[in-house]
Amino acid sequence: MATTALASALGTTTAAQAADAPVALIIAQGGLGDQSYNDLANAGFERGVEAAGLTGRAVESKDVVAQASDILRRASDAGFGLILDLEYSHAQPIAEVAKDYPDTTFAIVNTVAEGDNIVSALFEEQQGSYLAGMLAALVTTQDSIEGINADPIIGVIGGSKSVGIDKFIAGYIQGAHDANPEVQVKVAYSNNFADPSLGQQMANAMFESGADIVYQVAGGTGIGVIQAAEQSGHFAIGVDGDQDGLAKGHVLTSMIKRTDVAVENIVKAYADGTLKGGSVLGFGLAEDGVGLSPMTYTKDLIPAEFLAQVDAAKAGIIAGDIKVWNVVDQGYPDWMQ
Amino acid sequence: MLDNLIHAALIMTTPILLAALGGLINRTGGIVNIGLDSMMLFGAMTALIVAADNGSWLLALAVAGGTGAFIGGLMSLVITRLKANEIIVGLGFSIVATGLARFILKSTYGVSGTLRLPDVTRLPVIDIPGVADVPVLGAMLSGHNVLTWFAWGMVPAAAWFLVRTRAGLRLRATGAGEKAARSLGLRPLAIRDASTLFAGFMAGLAGAYLSIGLVGIFNEGITAGRGFIALAAFYFGRNHPVMTALGALLFGFFDALQIRLQGRGFPPELVQTLPYVMVIVILAMLAWSAKKRNGART
Repeated sequence: MATTALASALGTTTAAQAADAPVALIIAQGGLGDQSYNDLANAGFERGVEAAGLTGRAVESKDVVAQASDILRRASDAGFGLILDLEYSHAQPIAEVAKDYPDTTFAIVNTVAEGDNIVSALFEEQQGSYLAGMLAALVTTQDSIEGINADPIIGVIGGSKSVGIDKFIAGYIQGAHDANPEVQVKVAYSNNFADPSLGQQMANAMFESGADIVYQVAGGTGIGVIQAAEQSGHFAIGVDGDQDGLAKGHVLTSMIKRTDVAVENIVKAYADGTLKGGSVLGFGLAEDGVGLSPMTYTKDLIPAEFLAQVDAAKAGIIAGDIKVWNVVDQGYPDWMQ
Repeated sequence: MLDNLIHAALIMTTPILLAALGGLINRTGGIVNIGLDSMMLFGAMTALIVAADNGSWLLALAVAGGTGAFIGGLMSLVITRLKANEIIVGLGFSIVATGLARFILKSTYGVSGTLRLPDVTRLPVIDIPGVADVPVLGAMLSGHNVLTWFAWGMVPAAAWFLVRTRAGLRLRATGAGEKAARSLGLRPLAIRDASTLFAGFMAGLAGAYLSIGLVGIFNEGITAGRGFIALAAFYFGRNHPVMTALGALLFGFFDALQIRLQGRGFPPELVQTLPYVMVIVILAMLAWSAKKRNGART
């Protein structure tokens, strides 16, 4: 502390300070064992902690949302150098608590919190969704594949009509139209993230009207979409984690959000001393923060030139040649109102 | 398009109809069952667990119905013997059930939210050859599972039970006047408990329909408030089985319709309120016409 103060007083540039205080990971609603978001993030956390030679602890609480400030203050008082928060709803409380603990670094995922000692990590879900839409649009007219009809119709089911979900949907539509402008994308919202039978009925309604591939962005409701694809012999596209194995051969691909990559990178950057408070980190295709699943069960069904075309689009997005619309930053495009 | 709509409407109706018929019998006996959703939730969970462990869907249904009846029995005892307020107890059961389901998923299966189990035996679907290809009729009669048939079979059965049987008469007497029933030598509390057991059984089956009939998985939100919609259905039907079935069918129909109206230029937020708005409109119209009829008579 004194040396840093002295160094800055002298105006000399010091090498990035390596940190060695223990780090904490605050687990979001759903808790560890959810086989998706929290478990994935925790795996990345453990990798990062081990690679950096730090000590780390996952903090679980039964009432993560209501007791936000308490949890954050307790963790801050416990002497953690970095507190990484997976709970989306903590943006406000973390900004308040962080002011009282200027020596602690905070990080929050999936949302932006304001503060000099807070790092925010956002995923470029629209980029991964673009690739999913492109693949779906290419495959949907390939009626030699069992379960695919000749109609250029695909679908997407969102859990709620909100910018956070429409970010996925806009990317998906853009990717689909860039692959084939003739493709019609049916959009519907379930308004519920935990009703699989509703998801199933909604997906069936889309399949009945000519769609053969439906992307789900609807949590537990979306599991019903995957069930519907399996039962009717069509295809679903998974989200967040690799859901290809939920209905082998009927999940075309999954748009994976690598929360583990984001968490691991933040922990490593903290250990190196390169983590800058107040910054917003974006995890897109370039950072391997989002992407398509390895398509373990469907790779052999999909013509190789389609996969090559999707790979080319990925390279184009990373190079900046293809700009994917971000509803959160840019608002709604003309082609999606 | 029409066939699909009819078929989907009947699918969405079944769980509501099952629970509503149970709630109707319960209410006739004098208890408004607010806890139907909790019994549905546990029926859904136990049905999936049993159906995954062995090949018998009938056993899965029996366990689901039994679990629902058990929860119903507990709730009923609290209401009839401890004189607790039925609304508060019912709400309490619904809240506790959600927490308990979450706890069981986590402690027993190490998952949260969704429970998937391997080799789940599903409810058999009855396809009727010949009828299946007939427009409209095929969608109405063919391709539904055993519980849908059971639910619709229970509509005339419940009507017959209430009007034509001694037990039905006693149930109605208990609901209409507890003291009068007791003076006739009936045991109103025991009769009420029996009616709640039945309501729990039916709600448990409704849950089983969702988990092993429709999707083949369990989610802690799988009931999505359908136990409460069932409540609206038997209020709508004024405790008459046929009118209650009509109420359940209205919800099912508008639910299936709203799914299909989305993406046709209607804003999704508004379309999703359609089932509820329509029921309020129809209830208001019924009340208005009843008032007019009464007014004409006097």
